Amino acid sequence: MAPRVEYFFRETASGLRRNGVVAFAAMSTAFIALFLFGLSLLIAREFNLVTRAITGNVEVQVYLSDPVNLGTVAHLTDKLQSVQGVASVEYWNKDRTCKQFHILFAGQPVFTENVDCRNLPTSLRLNLSEVTNFRLITATLGCSLIVEPDGDQHQECTEPGIRSVADYQKLLDRLDSLTRVLSLGVFGIAVIMLVSAIGLVANTLRMGMFARRKEIGIMRLVGATNWRIRVPFLIEGMVEALLGAASAIAGLFLVKVFVVDRLRGTAPWLPLIKNTDVVAVMPWILLAAALVAIVAGTIGMRRFLDV
Amino acid sequence: MISLQRVTKVYRNGVTALEDVSVEIDKGEFVFVVGPSGSGKSTMIRLLLKQEEASRGDVFVAGKHLSKITSFKVPHLRRNIGTVFQDYKLLQDKTAFENVSFALEVIGKPKHVIDQRVPEILEYVGLGDKLNAYPDELSGGEQQRVSIARACVNRPLVLLADEPTGNLDPNTSVDIMRLLDKVNRIGTTILMATHDQAIVDAMRKRVIELDKGKVVRDQSRGVYS
Repeated sequence: MAPRVEYFFRETASGLRRNGVVAFAAMSTAFIALFLFGLSLLIAREFNLVTRAITGNVEVQVYLSDPVNLGTVAHLTDKLQSVQGVASVEYWNKDRTCKQFHILFAGQPVFTENVDCRNLPTSLRLNLSEVTNFRLITATLGCSLIVEPDGDQHQECTEPGIRSVADYQKLLDRLDSLTRVLSLGVFGIAVIMLVSAIGLVANTLRMGMFARRKEIGIMRLVGATNWRIRVPFLIEGMVEALLGAASAIAGLFLVKVFVVDRLRGTAPWLPLIKNTDVVAVMPWILLAAALVAIVAGTIGMRRFLDV
Repeated sequence: MISLQRVTKVYRNGVTALEDVSVEIDKGEFVFVVGPSGSGKSTMIRLLLKQEEASRGDVFVAGKHLSKITSFKVPHLRRNIGTVFQDYKLLQDKTAFENVSFALEVIGKPKHVIDQRVPEILEYVGLGDKLNAYPDELSGGEQQRVSIARACVNRPLVLLADEPTGNLDPNTSVDIMRLLDKVNRIGTTILMATHDQAIVDAMRKRVIELDKGKVVRDQSRGVYS
C-alpha cells in the first residue's frame, strides 16, 4: 500500500507545482469564501450571545419619576403583581441602583466619578416568565409610544409616577433584524464566493488534466482504473480547498484577537465570542471546504471520465 | 483470442468505418491488417480496445465479450492488451525506465515487481544500456523499442500495433519487426495495422485486407497486395 500513497502525493505535488498561479487563485478564492462563511457564522453566534444575555433573565424595568412616593410604589407593585406572567416585582431604591451602577461600570472611572447617584432613577424590576408578556405590562400601566412631529419618540403612561418602561421587545426586534442583515448578508456573499471557488478549483483541475492529457491517455491504454487517474486530481482539489480553509480559520482567529478582543476592553458589559466559538465553527468551514473540493472535482472531471 | 462477428461500426457523423466484418484470430497468431487510409484499420483497433463500441455485431478479446463488459471492467481488459503506435506515445519528461515503469505503477504493481521486470524487458528489447535515457536522447527506432517494452511489460495476451514502423526508415523497421516477431514467438498474439508493403511481403504472415470497411482478402502467409 505504501508506494500507492506515495504515488498519489507525488502526482498531486507535481500538479500543484505545474499549475502554480491558477492553483493560487483557486486557493485564495476558497480562502475568501470560507473566511466570509466563517464570519457569517461568528456574527450569528455573537448576536445569539447578546440576545441570550438580554432575554436570559427576562426583566422589565419600570423607571419611576422623582420624587418617589412610596404609596405610589405600593400601588404599582400591587397592580403589576396581578398581571398574568409576572413572576415577581421588586423595588430598587437609589442606594441599590447606585451600587449596581458601580458594579457595572467598575472599570470605567469616567462613568463612576462623573455620574451623581442622586440622578439615577429608582425603578420597579419585574421578572417575567416570558418576554412576550411585555405588552401586557405596558397595557396595564396605560403606556403608549408618542411620536412627535420631528420624529422623536417618547413614552407616556396614564399611571402616575412613571418615567418610562424599558422596552426590550423593540431592542430584541432590532437586534434580530440586525443579525439577519449582517449574518445573512455576509452569508450570501460567502455563498457567491463559494460558488466561484468551486469554479476556480474545477478549472485548475481541468487545466491540470489538459496539461497531462497525454499521460492520462497512456494510463487509459495500459489499463489504469478511472479512480487511479482521478484521485491525484481529487487530492489536488482537496489540498487547495483545505489550504483555503486553514487560512480562513487563521483569519478568523486574527479577527477575534485584533477586533473582538480589543472591543472587550472598551465594552465590558457586552458578551463577546470567545476562542471556543471560533473553534466551534471550524468543522463547518472544513465541511464547506470538502464540499467545494467534491463539487469541483465532479464538475472538473466530468468531461474526462469517459473510458 | 480475437474474434469479430459480423461487426459494423457507424460513427455518429454517419461514416461507416467497418461493415459486416468477421475475423477470427487464434492465440499466438501474427496478423497484418492492411488497406488504404480510411479503410477501417484504426477503427478495428479502437474496437478491440473498447475505445469505441461496435454498432452491430460482437467483439471478443481474450475471452471477453466487449459489449457485455461494464466500463468499470475496461481497465482490466486493457491490462491484457499491449498497444504500440506510430508516434510511440512516450512521456518526454520520463526516462526509458520511467516510461516503462509508469505502465506498471498506474495499475498498482508493487515496487519490487517493477524493479525486477522493467530492466528485464528493456534488456529484452535491446535497450539494456539505455535505461536512463530520455526519449529525445533516443533514435526513433529506440523510442519504438521503449514503447514495445511498455506494451509488453505486463505480459499481455494480445499486442495491437497501429503502424509501428510508420515513422521509421526501412532498416530500422526491419529491426522493429524482428523484435515483434520475437514477442510473437513467446506466445503473444499480434495484430498489426500497416501500410508497409516491404515488411508485409518479407514476413509472409497472415494478411487481412480491408477496403472501405469490408474484408476483401484474408490470406495466410500472404503479401501486401
